[in-house]
Amino acid sequence: MSASLQKGIKAFREVMDAPIASFFSSCVHCGICSEACLFFTETREPKYTPIHKLEPLRRLWRQEYTLFGRLGRMLGLSKPVSDDELEQWSTLVYDSCTLCGRCSLACPVGNDITYMVRKMREGMAASGHAPEGVIGATKRTVALGSPMGVKLGALQAQIRAQEAETGLTIPIDVQGADYMAILSSMEIINFPEYLGSLARIFHKAGVSWTLSSEAFEATNSGIQIGVSDIAREIVQRVVDAAEKLGVKYVISPECGHAFTAIRWEGPNLIGRSYKFQVIHILELLDQLRSEGRLKTRGKESKPLTFHDPCQIVRRGGVVAQPRRLLGEVASDFRDMKDHGTINWCCGGGGGVSANDRAEELRLKAFKRKKSQLDEVGVHTMVTACANCRIVLEEGLEHYNMNINVVGLTELVADHLEE
Amino acid sequence: MQDETLLDILKKRGVSRRAFLKFCAAATSLMALPPTMASAVAEALAKAKRPSVIWLSFQECTGCTESLTRSFSPTLESLIFDAISLDYHETLQAAAGTAAEAARETAMKENWGKYLLLVDGSVSTRGGGYYSTVAGKTNLETLKEAAAGAAAVVCIGTCSSFGGIPYAKPNPTGAVPVSDIVKDKPVIHVPGCPPIPAVITGVLVQYLTFGTIPDLDELGRPRSYYGDTIHDRCYRRPYYDQGKFAKSFDDEGARNGWCLFELGCKGPTTHNVCATTKWNQGTSFPIQSGHGCLGCSEPNFWDNGSFYQALSTPIDSVAAAAATAAVVGVAAGVGVGIANHHAKAKAKAEHETVTVNDLEK
Repeated sequence: MSASLQKGIKAFREVMDAPIASFFSSCVHCGICSEACLFFTETREPKYTPIHKLEPLRRLWRQEYTLFGRLGRMLGLSKPVSDDELEQWSTLVYDSCTLCGRCSLACPVGNDITYMVRKMREGMAASGHAPEGVIGATKRTVALGSPMGVKLGALQAQIRAQEAETGLTIPIDVQGADYMAILSSMEIINFPEYLGSLARIFHKAGVSWTLSSEAFEATNSGIQIGVSDIAREIVQRVVDAAEKLGVKYVISPECGHAFTAIRWEGPNLIGRSYKFQVIHILELLDQLRSEGRLKTRGKESKPLTFHDPCQIVRRGGVVAQPRRLLGEVASDFRDMKDHGTINWCCGGGGGVSANDRAEELRLKAFKRKKSQLDEVGVHTMVTACANCRIVLEEGLEHYNMNINVVGLTELVADHLEE
Repeated sequence: MQDETLLDILKKRGVSRRAFLKFCAAATSLMALPPTMASAVAEALAKAKRPSVIWLSFQECTGCTESLTRSFSPTLESLIFDAISLDYHETLQAAAGTAAEAARETAMKENWGKYLLLVDGSVSTRGGGYYSTVAGKTNLETLKEAAAGAAAVVCIGTCSSFGGIPYAKPNPTGAVPVSDIVKDKPVIHVPGCPPIPAVITGVLVQYLTFGTIPDLDELGRPRSYYGDTIHDRCYRRPYYDQGKFAKSFDDEGARNGWCLFELGCKGPTTHNVCATTKWNQGTSFPIQSGHGCLGCSEPNFWDNGSFYQALSTPIDSVAAAAATAAVVGVAAGVGVGIANHHAKAKAKAEHETVTVNDLEK
């Protein structure tokens, strides 16, 4: 109840760093980023031009960190950033940006616009302009441990169910295991078969692994809402649990921003390197495959495609692994036209799927994926992010499209050699 | 004689119909008109009556007149020039003294509002213009008087068009171009030191055939002659594009006929037709004879640095300005940097941890 414009402005000042200053000063206003953003391409509204979403931050930088900007402010030539303005920008910064990173890739002068939107959210959140849905998810994460309010009891119930399903033991709190798996709450609630798939694959491959009862949640609302203090707290939980169990690796699950949080932002947030390594489940599966420990049998004969989760592929660098894995289990794999690092976002990443007021816009933006799918003409889409999966399923239902969405880990597990 | 047409006159001089048509075709293409217009030009030109032309010479060297009249043999251009009723031209007319001035005044009176006024040389203005007088009248006075009754003013050469050499620093006579004095009449600039004869006659041909003045660029020059740069049409241009430059006037590159850019050629910034029309009946032009273009048809060509200095180098010494700019830049950079670091450090120091309870107002 204490958010204020003052705090927001202070946060803007605090996030201003050399990259942001050089990005703003090197922007040539070419507008190429607009064509890279699905919120622009599907609405043709100029306000959705990615760099424009940063306008208040850019003005503050100019007014407070540049000589001419300062003179201009003294002479009253540029208005100070106001609360009303930030309120207006809230929809641009949270509803129409999934932090997918496509604009950063398109920028001809190499400006990382996504990096700046992430930083700008710090000030937006501190000034009370984060959307209600994302605030709710963040509160639940901090209070209950998960944005969907999933508690340990729910996980234990799913573990029991999956153990019954697979006939295997799902290890929890095993001291000294090699790998510690973490999960997104969507996987726990909506796609528990991911957990069963892990058990089956790791059993076959002889991987020593465990879950932790203290930190099983991989998602990080702090990253999405843009509050580093909260993001740090959430990352710290995983780090503490992993270091307590003494694992060598933490496996980031099929969840996009969870990978960004634990793999890329985490060490910067807590200010030190981990005593373990972070590996994405697709990286691990591909490694097991190349070591000959992951043997599959039979291939899907129906045509299928792969939706690249932005945070794992474009921003995470896991590009070839999913395709190699698909090569093992599918005989008719067809890539969409824009795929890999230039894929189009599902429209619901970066906290957009938790943001109720953005639903209409998100479904509009889904038309991009729809046209991609229409073009490739398949009835099965594989992906590797639980959030993408939910958003894709909602979009497909909204547009009455008969396409089945499956997780890649699950697909691999289904083809395990008996 | 006044009723004779141009074709009659040319016939008398022994110019064949074929030579006349050839000239018309050349003039048509120089004027950037479609080839189909050649017959129209020929027809109109053949019927053209001799218009009255008054030529005033001010602070000049007579080079422009020389260019037009003193060619190896009389050219069609010079004949065309003969065929206009040149009622006053100090160098060319036979009359002298008061008779000459009387001829000018008579011509002006008889053709008031219709005659073409050709001017070469710039106009002195200092102290009322007494640096240059003819028949006790300052050039300034004569120009104002003659321009008042002119249909249009054609500035022959760089001096009348842009001030030229008299206008160069320190400009002791307060020389100005004609366009600084004449504001209420169309003024056509035909710059060049001197201008190409074909360009001078080309402008006259257009006036004779269509009764209009040509389409002019922002510097008042006919676009058809001054639309491209020498560089655009230079036969050495391919060497420029390949980066092959002569480094001195007697090196391998110069002997191979490479680009003279580094030896100070002003071709890239000079608008004229030298590279295509050439001089002395199409014999050559400066670059073809191994010397860079001086840029003589551009404003301030005399003050634009050495003729042998590459265009890409600064005209004046920039050391002092650069040093000052560097010092000021570094000081401003350091100052702003310190202030920015301070601002950011302050914001960091004042950081209050944001908890979930701080997300709403």
